[in-house]
Amino acid sequence: MRNTFYFIKESIRIFRNNKLSNIFSFLGTALILFLLALVIAVWSISSRLTVMLREEAEISAYFDRDAGNTEELLNLIGQIDGVREVRLVDKEEARSRMEKILGEESGILDLFDENPFEAYFEVKIHLDRMDSVFTQISALKGINYVRENREALEQIEGISKALEVLGYLVIAAVSITTLVIISHMIRQGIYQNHEQIRTLMLLGAPDGFINFPYILLGFMLTFGGGVAATILINTLIHQGYGMLGSTIPFIPLPPKSQLMYGLSIFLLSVSAALGILGSLFGVSTSKKRN
Amino acid sequence: MIQAKNVSLTYADGTVALRDVSLNIRPGEFVYIVGPSGSGKTSLLKLLMGIEFPSAGSLYVMDQPIVKREAGRIRKLRRSIGPVFQEFRLIQGRTALENVLMGMRFLNIPNRQMVNSAKEALTKVGLGHKASVMVEKLSFGEAQRVAIARAVARKPALILADEPTGNLDYDNAINIMDLLYTLKDKNTTVLVTTHATHLIGNYHDTSLIHVEQGKISVEHRGEQK
Repeated sequence: MRNTFYFIKESIRIFRNNKLSNIFSFLGTALILFLLALVIAVWSISSRLTVMLREEAEISAYFDRDAGNTEELLNLIGQIDGVREVRLVDKEEARSRMEKILGEESGILDLFDENPFEAYFEVKIHLDRMDSVFTQISALKGINYVRENREALEQIEGISKALEVLGYLVIAAVSITTLVIISHMIRQGIYQNHEQIRTLMLLGAPDGFINFPYILLGFMLTFGGGVAATILINTLIHQGYGMLGSTIPFIPLPPKSQLMYGLSIFLLSVSAALGILGSLFGVSTSKKRN
Repeated sequence: MIQAKNVSLTYADGTVALRDVSLNIRPGEFVYIVGPSGSGKTSLLKLLMGIEFPSAGSLYVMDQPIVKREAGRIRKLRRSIGPVFQEFRLIQGRTALENVLMGMRFLNIPNRQMVNSAKEALTKVGLGHKASVMVEKLSFGEAQRVAIARAVARKPALILADEPTGNLDYDNAINIMDLLYTLKDKNTTVLVTTHATHLIGNYHDTSLIHVEQGKISVEHRGEQK
């Protein structure tokens, strides 16, 4: 572009004319984009947790020891629609699982003369079919009772959904706020330079030529804010993964590089789009005499 | 180049600036517009630039109608006009050269050619040595010459100069009028409003329009091309 250098120089000049306000706009934009990234990161982690838990959705079916052929029951359960996998957990495995859960406290199990655990069928299911699977297994002859972990799953799913809604709300809030901030800065710049703009109009300059430095400034402010927010959130994730990994290792965090890359692309795209939109909005709502 | 038929201009406050003006100005014509202050000279130039619009009558500049609804087309038309404003309208915080360039950046002129034209125009108005001086540091007369350089550097088909020698000493005024007069040879139409009637006699083959109380009272025409 022939006037690239001129447009960049003009944008810098407009920035300098109102330096303090523009710096605060940049910082404000960086901060709200950082908050957006934070919500998206938590949302992403909770969604992954939900997906993983969904995949692990299972019910335990306890059977009558005198019922006869457990192999037959195993086959019957395996044929039910919505069952992904079924296997028999015998008494010893049930005890050893509990020992693992109890860890150092597992010695308490030695107080029992006999193994207090019962064998059961561990049934991995499709979560959306839980009701029907639950009913059908319960109805099988020889099944004493069926236990499911629906409540815990539903709670986690509820939290994830709430975070999703919060995410959308934050995206909307950030978009509106950024648009307002940037368009206001652009209008202020246009107002401060109205004499120059009027002269350019009288000389026949097209709107595109007159407006471009303002649009460029809006883009640079918002995209710059996006870059700053990206650096901040990536630093936070880098630190946070180290801390979370050592203190609460059971949380299934998404791969760090994947999360950082995804958030970076998202923040940079959103900031670029908001910068252009905010500037265009500011330019189009400014009053200019022909 | 310019055709006006029974053009009148009345401002919003009711002031009648021009009454029933009819004109026909040919390409390459050099026209002085003279008359006392407030007679309507500047209003006539404002009409020709599409800053104001006729309240009555019809006005065409380079075959484009000057009507309000054609504002977009008028902006395009202005790219073929070299205006010299009475109040100069230089852009503050820029050098003389940058001001001249500012009037050309959107005209599809290659960069090197644009810079050369701007420097050449500044040299012609006697300000080649002040190209890199900020315009706010220039004297009134120098600022006026930058405004003239900006108009000339664009190589327009029509120059509309409102009192271009108003702040100049005799030598500089002659220099500027010489410069504007030479444009005639390049088929540029030049309209100059002026009080400096003593300069008019220096040039031959020019036209003179006398405006008084919004009416054209005397019109001497130069030779037809």
